[in-house]
Amino acid sequence: MPLSGSTAFAYESSVHSTNVLLSLDDQRKKGVLCDATVLVQGRPFRAHRSVLAACSSYFHARVVGQADSVELSISLPEEVTVKGFEPLLQFAYTARLLLSKDNVDEVCRCVDLLGVHDIEESCFQFLKFKSPDPSAEQQECPREKCFPPHCQNAELKLSLLDRRDADIDEVEELWRHGNAPTPQCKLRECPGDTKTPPPLQDGAGQTWEAMCLGKDAALALPSLCPKYRKFQKAFGTDRVRPVEPGFGDGHASLQAGETPAGECAGGARGCADPPAALKCEEGGTAMERADAEGDPAPPGPPGAADAAPLPHSSCADAAPGLYSLSLLHTYGPYGDLGFAGVQSPAAALAEKAVSGPDAGGERACAESQDAHLESDAGPGPGEESGPARSSVEREVAEHLAKGFWSDVCGLASPRPAQAHPGAAARAGAEQAHGHTQRRSECPWLGIRISESPEEPGPRTFATLSSVSCPFMSTLGAEGRAGSADLGGDGYASEPQQEPCPYACVITLGDDSETDTEGDSEPCSAREQECEVKLPFNAQRIISLSRNDFQALLRMHKLTPEQLDCIHDIRRRSKNRIAAQRCRKRKLDCIQNLESEIEKLQSEKESLLRERDRILSTLGETKQNLTGLCQQVCKEAALSQEQIQILAKYSASDCPLSFLVSEKGKSANASDGAAAFPPSLSVLGGPAAGPPAGEGGPCGPCGPSGKGSASGCTLGQEPAGLTEPCRPGAGLADVCQQMTDKCSTDE
Amino acid sequence: MERVDGGGGADRGASADPRSAFVLSNLAEVVERVLTFLPAKALLRVAGVSRLWRESVRRVLRAQRGVAWIAAGPADGGHPQEHCLVRVAARELENVHILPQTVLYMADSDTFISLEECRGHKRARKRTTMDTALALERLFPEQCHILGIVTPGIIVTPMGSGSSRPQEIEIGESGFALLFPQIEGIKIQPFHFIKDPKNPTLERRRLTEAGLLDNPELRVVLVFGYNCCRVGASDYLQRVIGTFSDLNVIVAGGQVDNLASLTSEKHPLDIDATGVAGLSFSGPRVQSATVLLNEDVSDEKTAEAAMQRLKAAGIPERNTVGFMFACVGRGSQYYRAKGNVEADAFRKFFPGVPLFGFFGNGEIGCDRIVTGNFVLKKCNEVKDDDLFHSYTTVMALIHLGSPK
Repeated sequence: MPLSGSTAFAYESSVHSTNVLLSLDDQRKKGVLCDATVLVQGRPFRAHRSVLAACSSYFHARVVGQADSVELSISLPEEVTVKGFEPLLQFAYTARLLLSKDNVDEVCRCVDLLGVHDIEESCFQFLKFKSPDPSAEQQECPREKCFPPHCQNAELKLSLLDRRDADIDEVEELWRHGNAPTPQCKLRECPGDTKTPPPLQDGAGQTWEAMCLGKDAALALPSLCPKYRKFQKAFGTDRVRPVEPGFGDGHASLQAGETPAGECAGGARGCADPPAALKCEEGGTAMERADAEGDPAPPGPPGAADAAPLPHSSCADAAPGLYSLSLLHTYGPYGDLGFAGVQSPAAALAEKAVSGPDAGGERACAESQDAHLESDAGPGPGEESGPARSSVEREVAEHLAKGFWSDVCGLASPRPAQAHPGAAARAGAEQAHGHTQRRSECPWLGIRISESPEEPGPRTFATLSSVSCPFMSTLGAEGRAGSADLGGDGYASEPQQEPCPYACVITLGDDSETDTEGDSEPCSAREQECEVKLPFNAQRIISLSRNDFQALLRMHKLTPEQLDCIHDIRRRSKNRIAAQRCRKRKLDCIQNLESEIEKLQSEKESLLRERDRILSTLGETKQNLTGLCQQVCKEAALSQEQIQILAKYSASDCPLSFLVSEKGKSANASDGAAAFPPSLSVLGGPAAGPPAGEGGPCGPCGPSGKGSASGCTLGQEPAGLTEPCRPGAGLADVCQQMTDKCSTDE
Repeated sequence: MERVDGGGGADRGASADPRSAFVLSNLAEVVERVLTFLPAKALLRVAGVSRLWRESVRRVLRAQRGVAWIAAGPADGGHPQEHCLVRVAARELENVHILPQTVLYMADSDTFISLEECRGHKRARKRTTMDTALALERLFPEQCHILGIVTPGIIVTPMGSGSSRPQEIEIGESGFALLFPQIEGIKIQPFHFIKDPKNPTLERRRLTEAGLLDNPELRVVLVFGYNCCRVGASDYLQRVIGTFSDLNVIVAGGQVDNLASLTSEKHPLDIDATGVAGLSFSGPRVQSATVLLNEDVSDEKTAEAAMQRLKAAGIPERNTVGFMFACVGRGSQYYRAKGNVEADAFRKFFPGVPLFGFFGNGEIGCDRIVTGNFVLKKCNEVKDDDLFHSYTTVMALIHLGSPK
């Protein structure tokens, strides 16, 4: 068959390799011809062993030599995580590696372990060195939200903490036994799943358990462990519902406890409570708290980020004293009420927060929102006792705030003050309202949470997505889509919140503007694109008041991009207006300064004129005086000695001195130059001496006529120097003041 | 041999010594060795001596692969009649060892455009623009492609070695010209698209001609939008860039004041026209990486962190040029009156790479690595989401292939 040399053509396809890979990937997705199963942390991945072997030296070693006919199952070592492995598997089939800040470390480790070919170290380095900017947290919604890894991590990290080991094991076990897709997982995964309330209820028990466990692991607070176990038991029997009503109390106390806690954590944590009040939902409350816990983590030292799997520990780093203390206190009430379990969701969330070591906090927040929504939608029916509960809560909160918190907060004096108004003065809605307002202290967090009761989904995500984070954009859309869905849920739960109308109004009211203004990512192209598609024009977006704007947004069904774009437009216009105002202020300032200068100059002129006038009268007076002196001397016929003595005792500016010099001069003129110095010394060294001496011939005749004139000019000079000097200094002062004022104005 | 070699240079003209004359007219190796010490202009002059010399010159010139540059800073300025870049270029071109094939020059807009006071008079201004640019471009060989832009500020590495300290000249007479020789395996093409209100469609054909489309070897595009303050100009810029930004290429550049180049266009340039100009680098051996220094980068530490990231991209440092496109709002004001921060950070991590660039009105670029083996870039669902920035600095490294 082979041709013998005569016609040898070679056909080379440049697309073949790609296409082969594509169809292999297709096969993998459909499970066709897959002859190997890779187990990563208990999760199976189907693949072709030939592809695996071709891409990785590790797999090559494992696969080669195995019997062909047998279905191969490869379980990977502990160090390989799902988060690190899944992108690599994808890379093997697509030549495309999706990296995010979240997974870059793990992927890098897995590349090393598995010996994957064709991946260069430098790309990991490049991403790792990405500047740790504190604002860019949200990278990419992790696709893979399995809890085990987190648990494991937690375990690893916590091994330092001695107390917790036994609990953790137990916890983990329990947890694994619990059905794998806990509601938590679902929440984190994506919006689609989020909409399934029924499973939530069923799985609630598990969730809590998981949370409990997480909490144990995360916090490792020895004192709490027993309670957790209790809680686990309670929920292990799936008695979520019966327990719930009782939670009302727990809640209230929680709120009360949280207010101060939040305050002490620098405002960030303050955000935790209002949703709690609004939602009256244990899950919500706890989650919010977890959220609050998570938050201190990102600002914490970078070192803490590593340890961050445990928000708590990182918190401890960031604000050791306050934080742990407040936490403990928060838990205190629970213990009293026997609701240790309530904390568990918080823990679970904390865990979640941890999942993205750096970005943890923020995401945790976002997720906790989701969790919120779901729990709203899910157990909603059981929760209609909203108003009633809120009143109960209020009472308990009051009590607690007065009794419990007052001593608790002995630590930081400002805290109790805030805690009291928070807990005692406000009830239900008002409470929330108060918190909401307070929340505006913390810019980004505040917005997110303050808006959460109303339209949690979209807002939250809009806010998050506007954070300029390089990795986020890929998955941002998914997240946003999800958020829209969540929005739906949120609305569903709205009736529940109606007992607290204030909260709504206020949250919509004034805050949260800061956030949208905070970041500026110029993407005018997208904006223009969007604008075309908007159901209303940009002018309207800009001109509406905040309330109307929110209403408008709710009225229309908008895609996340559109929402983004609308917020962008609005922010821009606000910026523009602010800039205009600023410019105007500057111009005004300049104008003020100019008029000030004018005024001062005219003043200076008038002063100069006055000084001239005074000097001329002075000259006249001196002249008269000199004349008088001469006359007196002549009439008295004083001798030279007498005149000298007289001059000695008279003031230096007395015309007598001129007389003396005149006499001396004439004497000198006759005696010769040698006699000159003594006569000078006789003059008593008045300022006019040397010039007079220099002046020579004009000296004698000067004193009467010219002397005064020269004295005048002489006097004028220094005066002229000092005179303008003062207004000048004054001017500088005024300028300084004005600029100060300007800068403070801005 | 040594003696002859040494003497060859001395009595080349005299040819008194018959032995040296013999060596210099017959031994190509010796001639070539001698000629490698001569600058390109001298080489071209001596190429007429004999066939052997011509061949030697050709080989010597072909072996000169490095990028050369001419830099002029405020120290060279002060002459009212002539821009410092023109004067320095006239002087230094005699000493350049490569034969420039492509020239990219940048100059500060204050002195380069309007040496005479003619604000507001567009006619007059246009004339002066052309004058300086013409004077400069006359200095370069006729066949070379020249792209010139004028920007508010210039970043330049002084002439000499690539390890001199780069200077950020935010204000003042300054400029530089980067001379790229013909490098085998690397194609550098200038492109220029003028926004034509009558014909708004972008012709695919022209993009392809410039090597921006259907060019699998395209690696880097330096792109500059000019006159971007005009209505629709930035739209146009985005549209042009949008055609190739989703390819696996490095896109870096910015918005500059004006275009001063003439040779890329046959017909005279309307001063008010807006458009996009740039250079495309293609070739399998080109490697490049960019990082974006956003607003969070505001002190030396963060700037150095960004440079570390660029360093981590692993681009070879030999035969590499660094580019820095910064916002006019950055510079010393941004770093609390501490000047040259970003350029110094660059120097710290890339001790031997010359750095050039400008302070412009907007930057184009993002975090990307493109090498022959892999591409690392952000995956966006929105096109060009991360390319256009303001108040940032884009740092780029372009490696033009290491000699094998």
